[in-house]
Amino acid sequence: MVSFALLLCPFAVLSPVSALWPLPKSLQTGSGALRLASNFAIHVSVPNAPSDLLAAVQRTTSFIKNDKLERLVIGRGAADASALAHTKTLSALTVQLHSASQAKILSSIAEEARAPLSERDESYILTVPADGSAAVLSANSTLGLFRGLTTFNQLWYWSNGEIYTIEAPISIQDSPLYPYRGFMLDTARNFFPVADIQRTLDAMSWVKLNTLHWHVSDSQSFPLQVPGFTEVSEKGAYSSSSIYTPSDVNTIVQYAGQRGIDVLVEIDTPGHTAIISESHPEFVACAQARPWSSFANEPPAGQLRLASPDATKFTTDLLTAVAKMFPSSMLSTGGDEVNTNCYNQDPETQQALNASGKTLTEALDSFVQATHTAVKAQGKTPVVWEEMVLDYNVTLANDTIVMVWISSANAAAVAAKGFKFVHSASDYFYMDCGAGEWIGSDIDGNSWCDPFKTWQKSYSFDPTANLTEEEATLVLGGQHLLWTEQSGPSNLDSIVWPRAASGAEVFWSGSGMKVSAALPRLHDVAYRFIQRGVKAIPLQPEWCALRPGVCDLTA
Amino acid sequence: MGLGELCNQSTETFVCHPSTSGDTTSMQPALALYLALCLGSVFAIWPLPRSLQQGSTPLLLSHDFAFEISLSHPPGDLLSAVSRSQSYLQNDKLERLVVGRGAADRAPISGAKQISSLKLVLGGNRTMRSITEEILLPLEERDESYILDIPTNGAGATLQANSTLGLFRGLTTFGQLWYYSDGKLYTLEAPLHIEDSPVFSWRGLLLDTSRNFIPVDDIKRTFDAMSWVKLSTFHWHVVDSQSFPLQIPGFEELSQKGAYSADAVYTSGDVQELVSYAAERGIDVVVEVDTPGHTAIISESHPEFVACPQFTPWATFAEEPPAGQLRLLPDAANFTANLFTAVAKMFPSSMISTGGDEVNVPCYEQDLEMQQYWNATGQNLNQTLSMFMQATQQSLIKAGKTPVTKEEMALNDQLTIANNSLILVWKTSADLPRVIERGFRVIFAASDYMYLDCGAGGWLGDDVNATSWCDPFKTWQKTYSADFLANLTDAQKSLVVGGQHQLWTEQTSAANLDPITWPRAASGAELFWSGPGGNVSAALPRLHDVAYRMIQRGIKAIPLQPQWCALRPGLCDLTS
Repeated sequence: MVSFALLLCPFAVLSPVSALWPLPKSLQTGSGALRLASNFAIHVSVPNAPSDLLAAVQRTTSFIKNDKLERLVIGRGAADASALAHTKTLSALTVQLHSASQAKILSSIAEEARAPLSERDESYILTVPADGSAAVLSANSTLGLFRGLTTFNQLWYWSNGEIYTIEAPISIQDSPLYPYRGFMLDTARNFFPVADIQRTLDAMSWVKLNTLHWHVSDSQSFPLQVPGFTEVSEKGAYSSSSIYTPSDVNTIVQYAGQRGIDVLVEIDTPGHTAIISESHPEFVACAQARPWSSFANEPPAGQLRLASPDATKFTTDLLTAVAKMFPSSMLSTGGDEVNTNCYNQDPETQQALNASGKTLTEALDSFVQATHTAVKAQGKTPVVWEEMVLDYNVTLANDTIVMVWISSANAAAVAAKGFKFVHSASDYFYMDCGAGEWIGSDIDGNSWCDPFKTWQKSYSFDPTANLTEEEATLVLGGQHLLWTEQSGPSNLDSIVWPRAASGAEVFWSGSGMKVSAALPRLHDVAYRFIQRGVKAIPLQPEWCALRPGVCDLTA
Repeated sequence: MGLGELCNQSTETFVCHPSTSGDTTSMQPALALYLALCLGSVFAIWPLPRSLQQGSTPLLLSHDFAFEISLSHPPGDLLSAVSRSQSYLQNDKLERLVVGRGAADRAPISGAKQISSLKLVLGGNRTMRSITEEILLPLEERDESYILDIPTNGAGATLQANSTLGLFRGLTTFGQLWYYSDGKLYTLEAPLHIEDSPVFSWRGLLLDTSRNFIPVDDIKRTFDAMSWVKLSTFHWHVVDSQSFPLQIPGFEELSQKGAYSADAVYTSGDVQELVSYAAERGIDVVVEVDTPGHTAIISESHPEFVACPQFTPWATFAEEPPAGQLRLLPDAANFTANLFTAVAKMFPSSMISTGGDEVNVPCYEQDLEMQQYWNATGQNLNQTLSMFMQATQQSLIKAGKTPVTKEEMALNDQLTIANNSLILVWKTSADLPRVIERGFRVIFAASDYMYLDCGAGGWLGDDVNATSWCDPFKTWQKTYSADFLANLTDAQKSLVVGGQHQLWTEQTSAANLDPITWPRAASGAELFWSGPGGNVSAALPRLHDVAYRMIQRGIKAIPLQPQWCALRPGLCDLTS
């Protein structure tokens, strides 16, 4: 039996045959062939197993049967045909809780997935003996079992009707390095139907991503129908069919939860809110003011009047209502790209500032304190973009979670202020970079965050770079982000996958692993996704995918 | 009255291109002026016709609207085109891209007159051929012109052309005239009089099916989309060093050993199906078997003909892995010439490309057989390359084809290539005048304007900070702005046969074929139909229409902007 520690593994083995992604914390594999018996079954030995665990087992069974992933080598599955004759067969996987956890009141995967970050347990232990005796998956929680099922799925290749591994026995002890492993989707620049979001949630779960950061509204449209504030989406959605009703939200949140994913909604404020002027012109400064570039980072201009008590109350009430729609323990109030010129030129804001005697920064501070009080009153932890900490020094509760987006270099400054944060840096994780300028009449314009962030670039990210050991404990994880100025359902899959899997491994397994060792496994991810109906792109010519290492830069 | 006033006229018709002469060079300034002024125009025509007169009277398409084909024995592909047009009219349901969408036009169209038929007429004294036969003619023999006339009251609307291909182009235009609102199809711009013909006959798209395999259905879908914007040429880069998916009668071993799998093969039947499908949609399939470079995979079946196969480090022997090139030796040249003879029989186009790009010198210099041959004959690399080129080009000429080749072959003055060769300028737009100076006809496909794969990051492994070799991304705006006729004399301009977008598929498969290509490739379609000089801000609203229409027809075109911008022409421009 070959055994190696996590960080050594990718360095030592250039062409691992296991298609595991993300790589487990500890992995021991042998070199024996083992087939799944035709009557292979997963036995759930969990008393009163919640229905989402049973559904996950069902999906696992179906993926194992339908993935038909042939090994990515010359000759594909045929290369293993001879090794598979006369091998032992595995007829069962037993799914169980660790004995210490059996007495606990069992929560569903969905409940576990939306528990506060620090309270989740995603760990599991998986053993697949070489002799054909039952494999065993055990964990402390249904969420851990779900992660283990996902891993079990990835152990198997297909050849001529046989489902097999050539690395038995297998022993895995796994848990994520970081509790927040996300993907952010902007559904305001262009609308994404519920089915596309569901497909994205499926794909996220296959690589153990656990947070959908839903940037649901922005200056361009407000597709979220919020009870008590229905006029905002009625006037602010692109059309009556481009709306997420409370029932849609519930569908998405449930669907996500059952797949181990927490839905963190963001209502970006006070900037990125121009569209609210369609229903509430009284609350929005510089609405569609031109030239837009003097008032906003992109058209249209318009920001909530942060100095206005009425606008503040409107916003806190809106956030309260939104908080009631989402069971997550977190809610983002945004806070990026506040444009001061917009407020400087807004007579109402200037009057309000004069009346209160506050500076703009003080008014922003009061505004954010009000919105965060509302969020906290709903039992949620507020999440903000980095400017709230770095540019405006807004008074924030200690437990506020900060998203570092402008540059990875800013992480250290946020950490220095003692805030927990999520890596979302544009120089590593922005999926829209490199696709050219979308502003009209700008022939030679590039995307603002050129160049394209390849999976390799994201993979090379070091979450604790330039942080002290103590500051490193403030890293909650990280995420890829898709801003959708040039995305719709047409290219959602192909922009996101398999690239976002890169972040999934960095924040589950840690950094410092070699891209050339990861690539063969990432090809497996992409091929598997395609088979499951997610339009992942090929990262290389298939010639390269079949010949690990041969298309490396210096090969 | 200036053009600006004309644009705002609410009752009169006007002519967009008052001085259309058919000359490829004189229309550009007028086009630019018109586009700059008529920002708020509502028609969704793409590419813009040579001459367009429009009014401002609403006109409805009657529920029983029918095409009337006044031809005796119309060819089957014309009838199919008509029936597709009918079905698009019913199913496009494109609402105008304005705030409120279709609802905005409910009032103006209520009680409008109706058009109940369009009469298709063939004029002139050209022999009637099918669309398929017309598009397979040599470039200079094609006639894609048409005249479309739609009176204010809809009565007596006609589409007239000299050829079925012209009628097909006109049908495509007719399909773009109509918006949808509340169950009704309408235009707000009757009467309409369009006189149209393309500035360039080669309006292409190159697709590489070797780096990653693209199934037949995906290529067919691409043909559909191409035809909707009047692209006329599918440049099929079918094989390369990575895989050889083309099954060639008499050379089956190439695809048998060189395709990614038995499923990833284009059989003769597939080719026939694709060529017919394309031709019925006014698209000529020009196949490219790239030689002598980009042929490593041939070593799987014929190691005797390939120098430096899979040599490492690959970077010394090729631009990308794997290394391997056909030997410039009599046997290999003979093999290649015979291969082209066989390929020529599969493709009815009058043109075939022998490739010719990126020939790697160290590969040959370190090949023992090449060295022996050079020593024995006293020849040098260029002489053997010239021999190879002549052998392959002659086999094509013998088969009745015009050879197409990459710019390197034309710019190397040590080589002799056929005078009538069509030269593809791909490296940089700066090379176009150089090729023209040598007297060759050229196709504009320069990487700095026309490469669809640029900007997507490096794909080589173990190269963390790599960008694509041709960064940045080429936006539709960049392509649209290509002024490839600049500084050419009229005589030189006549050597430009057109141009194309190119999609190299190192990071592309069926999964992202549509979103990488559409609507961007439409930008080239207008550039080469209407000529350079168009204004990007005037074009954008129409291009949004193209994208939305394509989505409705099943093409995964991407949004070029947030929908907020698409609904508000001009508001998301750089300085608006």
